[in-house]
Amino acid sequence: MNPSPARAGVVALRVVRQLKRDRRTIGLIVFAPIVLMILFGYALSGDMSGVHLGLVDGGGHAALRAHLVSIQDFDILRLGSESDAERLISEGRLDGAVVLGPEGVRVLLDSSSLQIAGAIAAAVQAGAAKEKTGLQTAGQQKAQESAITTRYIFGYDLVMMDTVGPAILGLVVFFFTFINAAIAFIRERSQGTLEKFMVSPLSRVEMVSGYVLGFSLFTILQSATTLFVVTFGFGVPLRGSPITALAVVLLLGAGALVLGSFFSNFARSEFQVVQFIPLIITPQIVLCGIWWPLESVPEFIRPFSYMLPLTYAAHALRAVMLKGAGVADILYPDLLALGIFFLIFSAAATMMLRREVA
Amino acid sequence: MAGRGMAREIEPAISARGVIKSFGRQRVLDSLTVDIPYGVTYCLLGPNGSGKTTFIRAIVRLLHLDGGEMSVLGRPVSEVDEIYSQIGYMTQHKALYPDLTVQENMEFYAGLYGLKKQQRVARLEELLEMVDLSEHSGRLAGALSGGMYQRLSLACTLIHEPELLLLDEPTVGVDPRLRQTFWEYFGRLTQEGKTVLITTHLMDEAEKCQRVGYMRAGRMAAEGTPEEILRQAGLRPILKLWLAEPERDAVLLRAEGYEIDVVGGVVQVRLESHARIKEVLAAVSPLDMRLAEPKLEEAFLRLSEAA
Ligand SMILES: Nc1ncnc2c1ncn2[C@@H]1O[C@H](COP(=O)(O)OP(=O)(O)O)[C@@H](O)[C@H]1O
Ligand SMILES: [Mg+2]
Repeated sequence: MNPSPARAGVVALRVVRQLKRDRRTIGLIVFAPIVLMILFGYALSGDMSGVHLGLVDGGGHAALRAHLVSIQDFDILRLGSESDAERLISEGRLDGAVVLGPEGVRVLLDSSSLQIAGAIAAAVQAGAAKEKTGLQTAGQQKAQESAITTRYIFGYDLVMMDTVGPAILGLVVFFFTFINAAIAFIRERSQGTLEKFMVSPLSRVEMVSGYVLGFSLFTILQSATTLFVVTFGFGVPLRGSPITALAVVLLLGAGALVLGSFFSNFARSEFQVVQFIPLIITPQIVLCGIWWPLESVPEFIRPFSYMLPLTYAAHALRAVMLKGAGVADILYPDLLALGIFFLIFSAAATMMLRREVA
Repeated sequence: MAGRGMAREIEPAISARGVIKSFGRQRVLDSLTVDIPYGVTYCLLGPNGSGKTTFIRAIVRLLHLDGGEMSVLGRPVSEVDEIYSQIGYMTQHKALYPDLTVQENMEFYAGLYGLKKQQRVARLEELLEMVDLSEHSGRLAGALSGGMYQRLSLACTLIHEPELLLLDEPTVGVDPRLRQTFWEYFGRLTQEGKTVLITTHLMDEAEKCQRVGYMRAGRMAAEGTPEEILRQAGLRPILKLWLAEPERDAVLLRAEGYEIDVVGGVVQVRLESHARIKEVLAAVSPLDMRLAEPKLEEAFLRLSEAA
């Protein structure tokens, strides 16, 4: 039997009717993001304190490095490569970076905050001077002078909320869709309706698509309110199209839905769904790169970060909102990764809707 | 139509041959063999845990069998997915959405089976009438009483006019008057050639069915028409006779080969069949008499004790 859009539509209509009637969930969907934003908004308002400086250590220059690390105001983030540093600056998450290597010292500076750029440049000069005297006292005839090259990168002068806001949009959608979907599927089981579906012309694919369709309407509602609060309430820029942002969020929501459906198989009650939060939600919050750049996460955890959908959604939403990225700009890797995540878990969720309970 | 009629004579609507199903080490269906003909109301009776629900779930392939063979509406059970639109399955859980109204629940199931708008409206009206919920169509299913909930579930199961109805304890909590309506409705369905399989643990419901299967521990302890089951259990109608000279007549009747008990001066004759009543009355002339029909319930008790 071919999948029928009509039957998926019947399921979608039912899901919408049910959610519409559930006042508390509607309230949560709409107001929880607002409350969350206000909390974060106050907690994170103001400029980021200190100067965030990336350090790519390619060897040598011990004195210069020691000097930079010793400066109280500098918050040093050790990075693996110059391109990492460049990207973080362009995303407004670093004020600058120093790349040390045998062939010289390169300084990357954010052109959007010249004051800080000046401070970093001065510190590097001072450090280089120390290095020079150190080498002279060590008795070297002709101290090789470190060649310092400086490059400006177009970045942002961001407040914390700007980097966190777009990610929170992804986070709330993921959280609520996951929980609501898991609960909905647990109910389908305990009510016996799932069993009845199995003995009807409705296929499992139609059922999952119906759910995705029905939930999407609420995802749109939720993202629209959250987007509104983030941009108008907290002044986070929205340089790209809201439609593009919505597309990212819808894809993320679809992934969260099938993930919730999949995990509903491992819970026996709605209460047990709540116990998934620390397992499924918390790692995403911690590791998706909202709070600190992924580049600073210990190397052995990093692959894990790159398996989490929120990592890609947060990255894509930041690009859309802060840099005005279009769909083409975030297609790879973000949309692709979200798409793959959705496909894998919809296959898993569909398979788990097995007939045999025992 | 003629060809279909022929097939129906040859093949039963549901046929199970040595069906085996275990959950872990517990064997729930133990070489179950039974034929359920087309166009009857078949009552699957048995105590809780005897495997009735498991059997129904096996029919619709919600379970994989560990052994045996089964066919449903002329198809091997492995192909039953393809005829789901001809089957109406009412689960023991009743499978409704408590947060949808009566009407929304029915519309949802009508939609799943692809009923067109016009057809749906007519069908909804008819069924709401039958289950006596017309006045409550706007109420949330979750706010219905147990019996109403049950009735709504039945209506949702009937919505697509299935050929084969599998009803798992459909009358639990339904009041006697409405239960009567249900049975009349089932009677009409079977007259249209539809097949109705009902499970129940209420003995008195079995007497309303054309065929009865009594399950115990995953097997058919007894199977057939109600009369056949009574005979299998050795239960016969009893003719009670009040006689002027009971002792003398008792001797007389015994001599003619009747099974006689004399209880408190009343002579009780166990009849092989109702046809023998005439012969008894030719031999003796009672002052008064009464015929006591055996109860299916007693038959099942006997059969399960024997098993
Ligand atoms: N999914 C299952 N897993 C394990 N045991 C089961 C399962 N379904 C039924 N059983 C067991 O099989 C037996 C028969 O159950 P069931 O078919 O529901 O009986 P009935 O419907 O006649 O009351 C019971 O002992 C029950 O515990
Ligand atoms: Mg049962």
